[in-house]
Amino acid sequence: MEQLVQELKEHLIEELNLEEITPEDIDAAAPLFGDGLGLDSIDALEIILILEKYYGVKLANSAEAKPVFYSVNSLAEYIMQNRK
Amino acid sequence: MRCYIDSVVTAQDVATDIKLLIPDAGLRRRMSRVIKSAVTTAVECVGGTEGIDALDAIITATGWGCLADSEKFLRNMIVEHEQLLNPTPFIQSTFNTVGGQIALLRHNHCYNVTYVNRSHSFEDALLDAMMRIADGESCNVLVGAFDEQTPSQHRIMERMGAFRTVADGEGAVFARLTAQRSEQSVAQVTAIDFLCQSLTVEQCRERYATRADATVVYNGYAKYGLFPTSAAYTFAEAVRLVQQGESEVVVYNEYFGAAPAVFRVQCIG
Repeated sequence: MEQLVQELKEHLIEELNLEEITPEDIDAAAPLFGDGLGLDSIDALEIILILEKYYGVKLANSAEAKPVFYSVNSLAEYIMQNRK
Repeated sequence: MRCYIDSVVTAQDVATDIKLLIPDAGLRRRMSRVIKSAVTTAVECVGGTEGIDALDAIITATGWGCLADSEKFLRNMIVEHEQLLNPTPFIQSTFNTVGGQIALLRHNHCYNVTYVNRSHSFEDALLDAMMRIADGESCNVLVGAFDEQTPSQHRIMERMGAFRTVADGEGAVFARLTAQRSEQSVAQVTAIDFLCQSLTVEQCRERYATRADATVVYNGYAKYGLFPTSAAYTFAEAVRLVQQGESEVVVYNEYFGAAPAVFRVQCIG
């Protein structure tokens, strides 16, 4: 889990082009949207691609997106549960 | 038609930290190299982001558009078999991205148009700016051009033999044009024309110069590189020559044998 969290942070930085942010700067429990990293709806689309591209995980139901996308930890948990 | 030129800035002139010119990190991180270069040039030209508030027209020009993002998006389509396509390169690859990003910095909803007419793009944008000012539709216009070179674009042009005599190039130039002369005015643009046939230096002088001591800047591609925005660099050069004491500069550009365009920059007499 810890390794997955670290990996996710690196993918987020790379794919979302987060300037001057290192994996250590990202609080895995902090909200990704609004506060915390301050991501927006375009970033949400990029995160969907990260899940699918790197972990083969598809978000089956859009209603579950909000809790899944809450933080790096929640993303990691979702990947753990749904990874093929 | 005439309008006053308050400032002209090229990408090479920009020395200010990008974080000061584009304070919004959210906007900045999605920008490709050419977008950053063009937007910072534009912001520097208007004297900082607050200067965008005063604009009543933003007119941009590009021959090639945001090439790197376009290539990235197209490459993704092939590699990912038209699945899993990242939205950012697609959104940012459109030709009017730069004009939009400038407006977004201050939520300026004024007239905002991008001309994509190959080597004529800058002159078409300039003509639009001059016409809007002449018609009283705008009085404070930001007009500029930008183009970027990418390795693949370079390879294609090289195979076409484009760089046998002229180097490649890229860059951005922005100018602020106004209807009224002010203390900031450094020159004026008094004519623009689009031609069906080539002219020599002497023919340019005969047809477009109004003063005996006029200077002719003829085909800037040899000096600035073979890319559409070279025309905008010749505009910056003309303004600089006037600032250095020339009374009148006639600029002629003919790119790849395409129909030529001419404009005239004069001192404020």
